Parts: sequence; C-alpha cells; structure tokens
Amino acid sequence: MLPSSFEFHNPVKIISGYKVLDNLPYELSQMGAERPLIITDRGVVEAGLVRIVRSAFDSSGMTIGAVYDDVPPDSSVDTVNAIADVYRKNQCDSLVAVGGGSPIDTAKGVNILVSHEKGTLKDYMGADRLSGPLKPLVVVPTTAGTGSEVTLVAVIADTRDNVKMAFVSRHLMPDVALLDPRMTLTMPAKITASTGMDALSHAMEAWVGLQKNPLSDAHATAAITLIRHYLPLAIADGKDRTARLALANASCMAGAAFSNSMVGMVHALGHAAGAVCHIPHGVAMGIFLPHGLRYNLLKRADIIGELLLPFAGADIYAATPSAQRADRLIALLVEFQRFLKEKAGLPMRLKDAGVRDDQLGAIALKAINDGALMMNPAEMDMDDARRLLAEAF
Amino acid sequence: MPREYGPVKPGRKWLKEGVARIVFFVLGRAFQSAARMDEGIRREVAQWEEGFRLAMRILPDGPSMGLTKRDGRIRYVGEGSVDADLVIRFKNIESAFLVLTPQMGSARAFAENRIGLVGDVARSMSFVRCLDRLLAYMYPAFICNRLVKRMPQIKRPFRRRLYLYVLGIPFGI
Repeated sequence: MLPSSFEFHNPVKIISGYKVLDNLPYELSQMGAERPLIITDRGVVEAGLVRIVRSAFDSSGMTIGAVYDDVPPDSSVDTVNAIADVYRKNQCDSLVAVGGGSPIDTAKGVNILVSHEKGTLKDYMGADRLSGPLKPLVVVPTTAGTGSEVTLVAVIADTRDNVKMAFVSRHLMPDVALLDPRMTLTMPAKITASTGMDALSHAMEAWVGLQKNPLSDAHATAAITLIRHYLPLAIADGKDRTARLALANASCMAGAAFSNSMVGMVHALGHAAGAVCHIPHGVAMGIFLPHGLRYNLLKRADIIGELLLPFAGADIYAATPSAQRADRLIALLVEFQRFLKEKAGLPMRLKDAGVRDDQLGAIALKAINDGALMMNPAEMDMDDARRLLAEAF
Repeated sequence: MPREYGPVKPGRKWLKEGVARIVFFVLGRAFQSAARMDEGIRREVAQWEEGFRLAMRILPDGPSMGLTKRDGRIRYVGEGSVDADLVIRFKNIESAFLVLTPQMGSARAFAENRIGLVGDVARSMSFVRCLDRLLAYMYPAFICNRLVKRMPQIKRPFRRRLYLYVLGIPFGI
C-alpha cells in the first residue's frame, strides 16, 4: 500500500557496534563541542555504565562539564530546570544522555531550555513550538526499547499540575546515537522483555498505522525480524553480545519507523495506563499489543497479516493461507507473551501488572485524548476503550 | 548579449484562496451552531478551558479561520490568531483545497503530512472528534464516510441539517 504522499525524516547519525562508545569525543568534536554535560540516572551508575562512558573521554583532551546522575524514573520539570542550571553553571556546550527513556527525554527537555534565551519549559509544550537548531545532543541508550535516540518526541511530567507535557519537534532529534552492546549487557531479563515488547509494538504499530510508508515499513519489518529472533536469546543469556547488539539495532529501527509513521491505540492505551496506574511503559505495551492488533483487524486485516512474515518466518508465512495470516500472527504473539511471562515474569494481563478494576474508566478517558490515536486505523471511542480494557484486564 | 536574471514575483491562486475563505466561513459558523445543538460536540467543548483559541491557517500566506470559547460557548471569530492555543496548519493551498472541498479526510491529511499541528495534542484529538461530528451534519453519508474513520451516530439528522444550513451558517445561531 503506497500513500499518495509521505515524509520521512531521520537526520540522526547512528553508530552501532561493540565499543563504538569510544567514538564519543570524536563525534562531539565534529560538532564543535568540547565540554559536554552527561545526564543519567542512579540505575545506570550502579550498573557501572557511567564508568564506561567516562573512560571513553580518557586521552581525548576534553573536559566533562559535569555528570548529573540523579534523573528520576519519570523525568520532571523540576529535574529539567535543575539540570539546566548545572549546564549553565559549568559552562557546558553540549549534552550526552546515557540511559533509557527518562534520561533521554530529560536531556531533550534540558536542551530546549539551554538552547533558548528565555522562557519556561511550558512555553514550548506541544507540537512544533521550538525554534532550532538546539545544542549538540548525543544519546547512548542503555535499554533496547524506547527508540528515543531517533525520535522527535519528549515527555516530561509537570508534577505540580499532575500532567505529562509532550514536546514534539524535529529539533528534538539527537545528533548522534551510539549503540554499544556493552551498555545493555547488565539489563535484567524482565526489563529486557518489557523493553523488547516496547520496540516490537513501535514496529508493529508503525506498520499498521495510517501513516505507514515504504521507508517506515522497511525499518519496521527489519526490527520485527530481529526482535523475534534475538529477544529470546537475550533473555536466556543476558551477556550474549550479538543478541544485545541486534536488539539495540532493532529498537533504533523501530524508533525510526514510528517517528515517521506514528504509533496507534496500543500506545494511546499504554500512555494512559502509565499515567493513571504508573505501570511501566514496556509492560503496558506487552499487554496491549495483541489486543490492539485484534481491534484493528476490522480495518487492516490484510496489512496485519503481512506481519506474519517478519514475525514467524518464511515457512510459516508460506504455509498459512492469506485469509488466516492475521489471526495466526495474533495467536503467535500471545504465545510469545506467554513465553516472556514464563521466562522473564512479564505480565500478560492488567490485573497482574497491579491495575485495579476501578481505574479502567480513567485509563479509557486519557487514552481517547492521546495523540497516538490519530493515526490508528480504527476509531476508538470511550465505550470501545472500556471494552478493550476489560478484555485486557 | 548576456541574459538578464532578476526576481520573479509568483502570482496568487485566487480561486482556491476564495474557495478556502468561503469554506472556512461555513465551517466556522457551522461549528459555532453545532456546538450548541449537538450533545457530542457540547460534551467535548465543555472540557476546553474558557478563552481557548483555535485557528486553522493555510501556510505560508493563505486565509485562516478562528474559533474561541467565550462564556462557555464556541464562537467563530473570522481570521485565526497566529499564536492561538491550537493551530491547525495546512502546509500549502493545494493540500488545504483537497481537505476543504472535501476530497480528503483530516486523518489522511495528517497521515500524509499535509496538515501540521502547533499546540496541545490532546486538545487536537478532541477537536478532530468534534470535526467528525460536524462533517456528519454538513455532508451526506456517502461523502462523510470517505472523510472519517467511523461514521458518528447523530440524532435527528434531517432536522438538524436543515437548522444548520438555514439558520446556523447564515446567522450564526
């Protein structure tokens, strides 16, 4: 299916491979930067990953402006403001985000503040409110799921007003992404599983959505093939470098796919469940993905059925009549969910993830106002969302 | 003899601009009227904060249309403000013409990057739901079906359509 017109924008330089992190000073120098602020969280420090990043600067002649290592799990306005002060006080000229979604989104938020002369974060909230370009930003992911290293979005919580502020702008795209398998080797099996399902949902929703295009399709299917093959291997042996690198690449490709094709109802529901019940995003994605695909069957059964090829391989695809491919895919996905539950303890149902029955209404209300729903093929209103949530409960 | 090179002043697509202005007027007045008449739109608009300003603009230098919530009601205010809380921007007059005439639905236009948003994304979802209901009043089902993902259920369509075209759009009531 070819759209009558589409856009694909991915200006991020992607560097992938074992020990590529040592390119960090070179990449910064190429952008005229020599005093970066490193933004990360306690978990990354405790896993010994910041030590690897710092050692990449040895013999570089550069000075690390500061290392801010206290980003909370949900990045907040207060944290962004505090880090912007650290940036200015230490006369930094660039940013290096090391971590999962939270440090990366926080770094994007800090970049908004330190690149603009005036204003608060709230002034730049929403779509396309930024004037660019911003300061150089290098991202080093330590999970393989969010794809934030190649996306134009940042979500930052305003804890005072209890709202999540979304920022969408091409200027938020990092300049460089360094995918080094050393950074994900210590990830526990459950986080590996949940972040893997996050990446899989990015790829599948990008493939199914209204904005799909040939370039996002290519990224999405390549990501799905890698995740299906390597996620079980990374769960079985977390130290498997090949599997870790494959998943880092898959997550990055899935990120590029959904950044140019948008996600859909699975993410709308996941964002809402995260906001109302604080369940981890990857866990929500793992639960909602088969439900979202089943819901969209009415509008896109053929397109969903085509996902059987990257997800199950050529033999199963060829042996399945075309009319049955979509159902087979969903059945295999549920089987995959069961496997992840058994091997990594990833919940399959909302109640197993700690969601209460009386929270479903609030999740539904938030979900139907989520921007991700715009590109979902099938319409979902309040009643539809409640029904689907009851099924996933 | 060397050739002379100099500035080129592009013309204007007066006809398409004119059509866009008319449709913006009709859409604005219809929205104002339907926001009182239709319970679905009323429910959505009730969530918008007082003073909320919405604009639809055609870039880079085309017509625009503005809506504002004042005293709890939606009012069509003619030209849209550049710094409205939510700005829906058509990237060029040709894309605007496709959507406004109406050959293409808003979801597809967003998907094809013909429309861009500036502002609160959650509010834009609410506005699109209102727009879908409005289209169900403005156009017969065979046209509306092509523009929306799912045909909205509306009550007393004939009576309300009549009201919209006879009183709502001409007099803004």
